[in-house]
Amino acid sequence: MTNLIKYPHLSTLIIFLCFNTALSAEPFESTYKPLPSVNLLIKNANIYDGEGNEFQQTDLLIQDRKIVAIGKDLPVSDSFQIIDASGKWVTPGIIDIHSHMGVYPAPGVSTSSDGNEATSPVTADVWAEHSMWVQDPQYTLALSGGVTAFHVLPGSANLIGGRGVTVKNLQRNTINSMKFPDAPHSLKMACGENPKRVYGNRQQAPSTRMGNIAGYRKAWIEAEGYLNRLNEYESKSDEAKEMGYKPTRDLELDTLAGVLRGEILVHNHCYRADEMASMIDVAKEFGYKITAFHHGVEAYKIADLLADNGICGALWADWWGFKHEAYDMVQANIAIVDQARNGTGCAIVHSDDAIGIQHLNQEASKALAAGLRAGFQISKARAMNWITSNPAKAAGIYDQTGSLKIGKNADVVIWSKNPFSVYALAETVFIDGALAYDRTTNFYPSSDFDVGIIRPSQNRTE
Amino acid sequence: MVMINKKIHTLLSFGYLLIAFNAYLFAETILIKNATIYDGNTNKPFQGNVLIDGEIIKKVSPNDMLGDFIIDASGKIVTPGLIATDTNIGIVEIGALSVTRDDTSEIYKIGFSIYDAYNPNSTLIPWNRSNGITSALTIPQNTSSPIGGLGSFFVLDGELNITGKKDMVMTGSVGGDSNHSRSEMYAVIDDLLSFAKSINQKDLSTDTNISELIGNSTIAEFMELHPRDVIALHRLVNNNLPLVMKAHRASDLLKLIEIKKKYNLNLIIMGAQEANLVKDAIAKNNIPLIINPINNIPGSFDELASNIKMASMLEKSDIELMFTAPRSHNFHLIRQGAGVAVANGMSYESAIRGLSSTPAKVFGLEKRGEIKPGNFADIIIWDDDPLEPSSMPEYVFINGKSIDLTTRSSRLRDRYTTNPEKPNTYRN
Repeated sequence: MTNLIKYPHLSTLIIFLCFNTALSAEPFESTYKPLPSVNLLIKNANIYDGEGNEFQQTDLLIQDRKIVAIGKDLPVSDSFQIIDASGKWVTPGIIDIHSHMGVYPAPGVSTSSDGNEATSPVTADVWAEHSMWVQDPQYTLALSGGVTAFHVLPGSANLIGGRGVTVKNLQRNTINSMKFPDAPHSLKMACGENPKRVYGNRQQAPSTRMGNIAGYRKAWIEAEGYLNRLNEYESKSDEAKEMGYKPTRDLELDTLAGVLRGEILVHNHCYRADEMASMIDVAKEFGYKITAFHHGVEAYKIADLLADNGICGALWADWWGFKHEAYDMVQANIAIVDQARNGTGCAIVHSDDAIGIQHLNQEASKALAAGLRAGFQISKARAMNWITSNPAKAAGIYDQTGSLKIGKNADVVIWSKNPFSVYALAETVFIDGALAYDRTTNFYPSSDFDVGIIRPSQNRTE
Repeated sequence: MVMINKKIHTLLSFGYLLIAFNAYLFAETILIKNATIYDGNTNKPFQGNVLIDGEIIKKVSPNDMLGDFIIDASGKIVTPGLIATDTNIGIVEIGALSVTRDDTSEIYKIGFSIYDAYNPNSTLIPWNRSNGITSALTIPQNTSSPIGGLGSFFVLDGELNITGKKDMVMTGSVGGDSNHSRSEMYAVIDDLLSFAKSINQKDLSTDTNISELIGNSTIAEFMELHPRDVIALHRLVNNNLPLVMKAHRASDLLKLIEIKKKYNLNLIIMGAQEANLVKDAIAKNNIPLIINPINNIPGSFDELASNIKMASMLEKSDIELMFTAPRSHNFHLIRQGAGVAVANGMSYESAIRGLSSTPAKVFGLEKRGEIKPGNFADIIIWDDDPLEPSSMPEYVFINGKSIDLTTRSSRLRDRYTTNPEKPNTYRN
């Protein structure tokens, strides 16, 4: 099926470009450099392209780090490396829109659990990338599951938890060298039980859901004022600027103003249908857009509302019951969101979990099976979008990756079997046309943490 | 609707009859025909038929046989009902809602039993059951003692009249802890077990006698044990009560083996993320393990050797393996874990055994875990490979009774996918 999903982020990207000069130059820019690449022909593969298409026994051509062709019997010169993928499956690199790798690294110890700045309900000033431990041994494990990019968010203790970051799954010694080039920043917001529990237990606001909503609105009112002052200053002539008083920068309000300007994408942790509906109203009140609701165990109850507002549901296949707001689980949740309004919904399978991120293909398989049992007609090729192009759109990197469209980055996985099977293993993973992982030759990165930690002469998993 | 004429029904057309024929269960036999049977024990699957008579499996054979109700299971895999080994099914409804939790005690440290708290109406039961789990060990959270807390076995039939086995396993845990050295934990375990060894059955005749025992024991007094705790300890060392110890680090696994040998305990180790480093000692001492094969995260400094190939490495050493999953709400995901184990080198047959006959054998669950004559008819007919997490049971039999596979979740699904013209609260 052709992909008819709305591209909710194109508009924000366009706005981003227009306003790019409004704030001072972005600090902490990506310094990512890809690994050495080769020109490559993957022959006779079965392909899900991440655009809803399936091709049998087809070739995929990678040149200069980009996808250059998909077709039968593609001719290449001798300089191309050739991989015979007969009987195997090829997909775009898997993308997880909800990860806490790095901010909650393994081992899970207090000294590096840096995901929640739970000292105030609004901490829009903090950035997840400044907590991410680049030596977290979990990135490699995710790579072995075909994950080529992931979006790391602060935790959900706060109403507004801070900025998220999208990274390439190539472990490096600095976070800037992992950051996905030109990926927009994101803002983590959280509904429901977590903020009200964390702060309510301290006898401070918010201790209720109404306190939560009041907290968001107060923050946006401040952000509106800040943005007005900034805009007023920016609209002055150079002369007047010289004379005038430049508003003092405020890190917290910089982030919130970035959302109001459409530069920063809102990712909203929210389980209950009624709360998601209220959050849509808050967004409308202040004129910002919610890119995705995360977890959304009750998304199926308001799937049309999400589709109408161009909001993705980033969801689990089957998690439930750990909290009251996660009690109404329906395994067809993802399929129902996908199929809303004649298939214009945007469904994403997310992990929020260092094990789950390694098996997003299996999670998609469960969600698909549940959708078919619920009577929907959804192809595997379309379900593949839930872990590739849709998360790419929600992360604002769909122009670069997330599908095997001609011209996109060659982020590619070769699977041993159909990836909707539990027995399928990601055999070979390419990031920007460069080999990042190869199960068949035991080629994989190891974090510094893994080096010599059990037996001095070996790495952790050897 | 009453269906008593002896008709052959295909699997798909049979569903609507289930509720009707339940009433006739004890008068009629059920024949599952032409199935691919993994009986939970023998290595190879075989094509055959299973005859259920009342609660019991009457016959299993490749040969044709007669039955009153016939289910054609051609092309379908049939397994024993899966047995969950490490759950809080029935004692925790919602994790983060303490009033729905009955898994802790502040008074009893060793003899804490969760049996009386079990809720057969918990929503976790139909959900896990509709995904293939037919019985479960339910165990309490760790107490303040490194050994202590009694788990019970429950048949997940959802009947208020509970079928199960009370207090049939003790649990415990050792490992990295911010407040206690593991040396302290081992000393406490040793002192408790040595105290337990010193007790004669006759000393347990009255609570007054037991209180006297406690008064004369430094460790029992220090731990503020109650008579229930002492009775449980005595059972542990004298009655071969299975002891499920949660531990991961290689050195801890060896220490537990030492304790097992010293006190002749029926030890099972759960977690055991570093078992591959000491697999020879585990194999030599016949320690069964309950592992989560999908967990390759070095989640703590006790679990650095976590490895996705662990199940296959342990299988090669002939260690008996069972499976756990981190969340009881979806404990059925032990199937996915087992599937991942198979994808990473474990044999399919061992994985099936780990979900069925191994727990039955290790925990002494009589007449369960295997499809064989005389056993209770806990049987699943799958719509596809049970180790694919996308598969679901088409039929679940518990004690010979075909279970309605409706769940709260399937009801909610139907409510939001049918009759959109009605307001949702006026739908089904």
